[in-house]
Amino acid sequence: MSDDQEYYAGVDIGSAFIKAVLINQKQIIAYGILSSRGSYNETAKRVLDQALSKGRLSLDKLSGIVVTGVGAESAPFQARQFSEISCQAAGCRFLFPSARIVIDIGGQFTRAIKLTAQGRVANFLMSEKCATGSGRFLQVIARILRIKIEDIGPLSLKSQKPVEFSTNCAVFAESETISRIAEGARTEDILAGVHRALAAKVAMLVKRLKMEHDVVLTGGGAEDAGLVLSVSEALGVEVLVPEQPRLTAALGAAMLAREQRPGTR
Amino acid sequence: MPFAGVDIGSTMTKAVIVDGYGIIVASVIGPTGAEHRHLALAVMDETIKKAKLRFEQLDFIVATGYGRINVPFADKQITEITCHARSIRTLFPTARILIDIGGQDSKGIKLDAEGKVMNFVMNDKCAAGTGRFLEVIAETLGIKLNEMGELSLKAKDYVRISNTCTVFAEHEVTTKLTEGATIPEIVAGLHEAFASRVVNMVRSLGIEKDVVVTGGGAMNVGLIKAVEEKVGFPVLVPPEPLLTGALGAAFMGMDLLARGVTSERERRLEGVTFFK
Repeated sequence: MSDDQEYYAGVDIGSAFIKAVLINQKQIIAYGILSSRGSYNETAKRVLDQALSKGRLSLDKLSGIVVTGVGAESAPFQARQFSEISCQAAGCRFLFPSARIVIDIGGQFTRAIKLTAQGRVANFLMSEKCATGSGRFLQVIARILRIKIEDIGPLSLKSQKPVEFSTNCAVFAESETISRIAEGARTEDILAGVHRALAAKVAMLVKRLKMEHDVVLTGGGAEDAGLVLSVSEALGVEVLVPEQPRLTAALGAAMLAREQRPGTR
Repeated sequence: MPFAGVDIGSTMTKAVIVDGYGIIVASVIGPTGAEHRHLALAVMDETIKKAKLRFEQLDFIVATGYGRINVPFADKQITEITCHARSIRTLFPTARILIDIGGQDSKGIKLDAEGKVMNFVMNDKCAAGTGRFLEVIAETLGIKLNEMGELSLKAKDYVRISNTCTVFAEHEVTTKLTEGATIPEIVAGLHEAFASRVVNMVRSLGIEKDVVVTGGGAMNVGLIKAVEEKVGFPVLVPPEPLLTGALGAAFMGMDLLARGVTSERERRLEGVTFFK
């Protein structure tokens, strides 16, 4: 391995998962991801170590680190901080130069970002007040249905008749789900109903930003094929999904770390 | 001349029988289940037995609450806004604002000097500001809903709960616990957040003295204290805060009969005991 190579890391300390991505001047080298249980800084260190060992690198080989996410403050290493919005935008414009709207459906928040033709952040909106607009809604319902998060997507795609919830509140939807189960509603129809309710909230955010093509969906929510379908239906376009939708903000953070080093591009 | 009121709320079903003077003869409170009809019958049946009456002796039966259409034996269905206002007019003639904190909704009603409904606001869209909020978080904290009031009074200060959403507040509460906050401080914080949400909703009506609080929420002394802090003066609470809707319904029956409206239904006892 030649020593003139420069390496950069981006670490995204999110409410549900901590992610790290390593890049060099040209490409993505390795990544790490762990669930955010326990202390943020310990897990963040483990995630970065995970990525470093996959990339056969060590911390001292890194020319720069950028950290982002709700837990960015507690990063256990020397790093510059950038907002999730900037990192998400940077990651998505690298993967999809045509992206104008980025929707990030995370464990706790949903963010919608509008990008200019140059890929700069023009505006953004967050849904952070209500669980119905976030992945939490799905988690709450999945728990009642005793379904694993990763099974939600494939199962919901079998739905023939999505349940229509009479409420927009995750807590009330939880009790409504119980009565629907008692009435004999099928699990897939309930899940598809949750997807529709969530997608409707997401579409409201996008509408306020003014819809434009292309739309990229990221975050854990983008790993749920049923939700991707519902968001596409709600927006009336086929949304683009990165190969690793949870990693885009960490990737963007690494990109920003690289940009911070003058003369390295 | 007995009159009955049945209030099928989102969480509790209540029945009241009053005599010709409007004095409560008997009342029963039971949980609302999936089978509204069965429940209405069972609660009514029990109330009649407690009052030592027979079903056919009831002069008028009025049903109210969100499940009011599921009371097949009622002579009339009247909204809970009207029924609440009606009983408050008799219980607290000085009331101008009524805040009803139910299990799955909360409402604010503005009354004029005659006790008539001028305007109302309601939240049944979001669990925050309804009994459900406290119910969910009581479970997270491993405490009982009916202990929360007393518990919160032990706190010298409250922990600020910044999330409105019940789901997020649930998470916030566990974080506060790990940060070393005590349960009484957290419960006091929950009451503060709750009161602030409900009072803000009612503010649009223009808050005026006197303010009456009813519903299950009124049985929580800590919540009442928090509401008083938000409105800036003491509020009034009826002795049976769960019964105001059903009581108002019974009063409405009295009013109707006084205006010459009589029950056209044939009272059939088997209707009541059918499910027993």
